[in-house]
Amino acid sequence: MLKKRLIGVITVKAGVAVQSFGYSRYLPLGSPECLAENLDRWGVDEILVLCIDRSRSGHGPDLALLRRLGALGLSTPLSYGGGVHTVAEAAQAIQAGAERLCLDAVLHADPGAVRDMAALLGSQALVAALPMAMRNGEAWHYAYLQGSLLRHTEETNRLFDDGTVSEALLIDAVHEGQRNAFDAELVRRFPRPATPLIVFGGISEPAQIGTLLAQSEVVAVAVGNSLNYSEHAVQNLKQQVQSPSLRPAIYMGGR
Amino acid sequence: MSKLSVGIVNYGVGNLTSVRHCLQDLDFRCRVSDDTAVLAGCDLLLLPGVGAFPLAMKALQVRGLDRFLIEQSAEGRPLLGICLGMQLLTDASHEGGLTRGLGLIPGEVVSLGQGRWHIGWNTVEKVSASPLFDLDGSESFYFNHSYVYCGADEYQLCRTAFDGDFASVIGSGKTVGMQFHPEKSQLSGHRLLQQIVRRLCDA
Repeated sequence: MLKKRLIGVITVKAGVAVQSFGYSRYLPLGSPECLAENLDRWGVDEILVLCIDRSRSGHGPDLALLRRLGALGLSTPLSYGGGVHTVAEAAQAIQAGAERLCLDAVLHADPGAVRDMAALLGSQALVAALPMAMRNGEAWHYAYLQGSLLRHTEETNRLFDDGTVSEALLIDAVHEGQRNAFDAELVRRFPRPATPLIVFGGISEPAQIGTLLAQSEVVAVAVGNSLNYSEHAVQNLKQQVQSPSLRPAIYMGGR
Repeated sequence: MSKLSVGIVNYGVGNLTSVRHCLQDLDFRCRVSDDTAVLAGCDLLLLPGVGAFPLAMKALQVRGLDRFLIEQSAEGRPLLGICLGMQLLTDASHEGGLTRGLGLIPGEVVSLGQGRWHIGWNTVEKVSASPLFDLDGSESFYFNHSYVYCGADEYQLCRTAFDGDFASVIGSGKTVGMQFHPEKSQLSGHRLLQQIVRRLCDA
């Protein structure tokens, strides 16, 4: 049986791993490489590195960081998001060490480029990152570059309809950084109901994770800050969630 | 005893660092190259791959690596394909139209279905008596694909359940393909990769 995934998220700002609170306040955590090594050793199902300032600064993907992560020899799948706008950048990010790419700004700015990326890399390598927030009973897209809520466009939705992207990273933009605060209504109101969803933002508690994993559209739960508080956080969390849909925790420390 | 050497075929597609690291951790000597003279000196050739079949096949052809791999296989060189690399070993793929593959394992690659992907960790059940590896069916491996092998039972070494099931390890002689990523499958994947490389070289 295909298992659902527990994804460890490393949020990176200015090259430093940070604890993020609603993408507005940040506390430094240290080296992204150290956090990635921990998650790998603790047997997380996937590592997602989100470099949140790359699109805003126009710097493109952080290939140097990806190469440093690649040089660690991680034995866990690595996904990367941040600053990927062109086919060339997408190919470089994959060659530098990422298995999959989370795309955000380019989904709205240049859907054609996303289709070209799918033609080159395969749609299984592409995830649509969608920061979202509820407004008047509807799930809206939070366009962080503009700092405003926008309705989902048909052009973006078509990327799901035609299979250009394989999954969506649904980020609760309002509750990101808070404990046990993810708004599950966002899952129910997602504009394309059949889309496989990775949910992220305000997710920390075992019961909350178990409830989210029980929803058929949710293929993965992504956890950020709370995995950095204690040793063996992944194994502990998996044991507490006790969901048969998750792979049992594996410890890689004996490599 | 000298270390076994693995030649990782570099045809400009995908991430080669992960698999190289994994093999080095497993105490194999690695050469990453598109130079046939370098690759021909290795005990086993590994064909990695991430991306779309037609472009990958073209990348092999442009470098003359398609002919080289076919010749090496005919001479009995062990050959291991991973993910897209596994699919390239087959006769053809229907991804983006029909594209001929290397033809080293009879069968074709077909879509799981429109808008269907198999992404994440899943178990692998051995369905053949292949001496190349041992599996008890309990361990999970990391998959990331939307196309699968379709061919005769005799070439299917393992199968994986997913809305029905599909062949997750295929093989013919000393040529083997794995649909999942052993290098990204933590302890389970590393153990399996070590076993297959060693036993293919010993076969």
